[in-house]
Amino acid sequence: MLSGCCWNKEAINADECRLLRPGDEELLFNRKKRFLSRCVECPCFIEDLRQRNDECDGLPGLFSYTIEELLAQRTEIRSLTSQAQSRNREIRFFHEVGQVLQTSVDIDEVISMALTAITSGKGFGLNRAILLLVDKERQHLKGHIAVGPRSREEAGRIWHEIEEHDYSLNDMGQIFFKKKMPAEKEKFRDLLEILSVPMSRNEHLFITTLNEQKTRHIKNLYQVPGIDLWQAENLGGGELLMVPLISKNRRIGLLLADNIINGRPITAEDVQSIETFSLPVSFAIERAGLYERLQEELAKVTAANIQLREQQELILRMEKMALVGKIASNIAHTIRNPLTIIGGFARNLMKNTPQEDAKHSYIESIVRETRRLEEVLEEVLSYSESLHPTFDWWDVNHLITAVFAGLRDDLQMSHISCRFNLEPNLPKAKLDYKKISYCLRSLATNAIEAMSDGGQIQIQSALCDNEIHITLTDTGPGMNAETIRAVTTPFFSTKESGSGLGLPLCARILEEHGTTLDIVSTEGQGTTFTIRLNISREDEHGPTIDR
Amino acid sequence: MARLLIVDDERDIRYLYAAELEDEGYEVETAGNGADAAELLKHHSFDLVVLDIQMKGESGLQLLQKIVKERTDLPVILCTAFSCYKEDFSSWLADGYVVKSSDLTELKNEVARVLKKKHH
Repeated sequence: MLSGCCWNKEAINADECRLLRPGDEELLFNRKKRFLSRCVECPCFIEDLRQRNDECDGLPGLFSYTIEELLAQRTEIRSLTSQAQSRNREIRFFHEVGQVLQTSVDIDEVISMALTAITSGKGFGLNRAILLLVDKERQHLKGHIAVGPRSREEAGRIWHEIEEHDYSLNDMGQIFFKKKMPAEKEKFRDLLEILSVPMSRNEHLFITTLNEQKTRHIKNLYQVPGIDLWQAENLGGGELLMVPLISKNRRIGLLLADNIINGRPITAEDVQSIETFSLPVSFAIERAGLYERLQEELAKVTAANIQLREQQELILRMEKMALVGKIASNIAHTIRNPLTIIGGFARNLMKNTPQEDAKHSYIESIVRETRRLEEVLEEVLSYSESLHPTFDWWDVNHLITAVFAGLRDDLQMSHISCRFNLEPNLPKAKLDYKKISYCLRSLATNAIEAMSDGGQIQIQSALCDNEIHITLTDTGPGMNAETIRAVTTPFFSTKESGSGLGLPLCARILEEHGTTLDIVSTEGQGTTFTIRLNISREDEHGPTIDR
Repeated sequence: MARLLIVDDERDIRYLYAAELEDEGYEVETAGNGADAAELLKHHSFDLVVLDIQMKGESGLQLLQKIVKERTDLPVILCTAFSCYKEDFSSWLADGYVVKSSDLTELKNEVARVLKKKHH
């Protein structure tokens, strides 16, 4: 009973075996090879074998077990080979990505590389990856960036582009980092905002995953508790992989990945690979973040140093100029008085001497020459005055700090604590450093004297539109409306000591600066003084010194 | 007739100012220092004080503070050799300022202005 099958022939023609494929020419003549590679899988052979089972002593029956086992082992070898290949690919891939992760201190470059690795076909090949990062103050888990197509059309376009160029993983990471990052951030902005969660929401799926430091592979997002419905809807509601990013027990962020476009199920291998991959990624992100903060601090310190040097130079110049002023004042006094006397009496004499008197012309000479000397003196003095650079662009915070540093002993002795709330990076304000310092010192002294039993002074600087507001609040006894009106009048003082000039002069100084002293007070609670300084550079008004 | 008090530690300045201001028709008293001036102010009435800032002993600004505190209605004109006096905030309490000059026109104008203002 011979079937139409060819297993028992030594050599066959190509059309005799249905399982032969192109390149199988050798099998036409090699019966052993043909049998082992093709016949054992051929349904005709298996059928022949089955029919022979009924014959003789059942030896062919045992033979079929061997074949079954052979096929099973063959499948296993195939699967192991494929696994080995995939591991091999993974190692190469880790090496490529690892180099960037280990060397880059640019957080965006690290993130670009990591997310490209997750979403590219040469990496883990998932459709979409979303990165949420814990913010600096550890208050929020914030959507940072998402990578992937938003629609099937976009996916087709991107995949086609990648296929055409045959980019390496590293190339793709770099292209993403240098060209696509801002656009990608913008593209997913709404989603990133929706996915942000406060760290305090311990019951939230994201926060739980992060806190438990455990990867979650969710098959149906709608069926798990702890995620807001609209978040689940925006994520597509289907399968989702969530990998917490942890570096040395510190929570860095959360990585979400899915196959929203093609719907390919996420395999156990995907989960394991991405989980392994998340370790160097977490470390690299943390390191890059720290580096970024270090750079920021460094920049701040450098800027502060430059500013300090500038201010020191200015103060030095001011001191020099003050000295020049003092010398000028002395010269003025020693020369002007005699000139006034000589010229003054000469004029007086001239008035009483008739024109025709010969002495009249002599006296006239004295008057004229004194006048000339006075003019020269005036020139010298006005030059020395013009050297005074006090009205200039100054750093208000620096001024506040300097004034309060000078009051440290007074504050300590009076048991008064100071709380500073100074807005960083304020623009400079045009002011007379000496006068505004005096003003602030008067306000502080006033507050200190008002709080004889100790208390607190709060000093705040803030930018409000085109003004810098310096606010000084004390916890003193406060003033009633009448007193507030009166305090800027000279010699009104509720204190037994003191000249009673502090606040009136403050008001005058601020008037010079084109602003006013605002006082708000509640009896029994304290007083708030506000100085508003204009910073607009168009209106470069000088001090209104002449009155 | 308005009564003026000239306070200056320089004798010749006092003489000059007195002569010139008397010519203008004012009645003038002089003092060479803060203490003498305070004494005169205590016992006589004046309509205006012409005060030198830089004096030996008590300065013009110290005297100015006293005058402003005790005699708020008495106007004061500050005289100085150097216009930098405006740097000193307490000079702002005065009613007028004159930089010393051999030409006393400015002083006379300032005296007339302040007195006129006082009477208004």
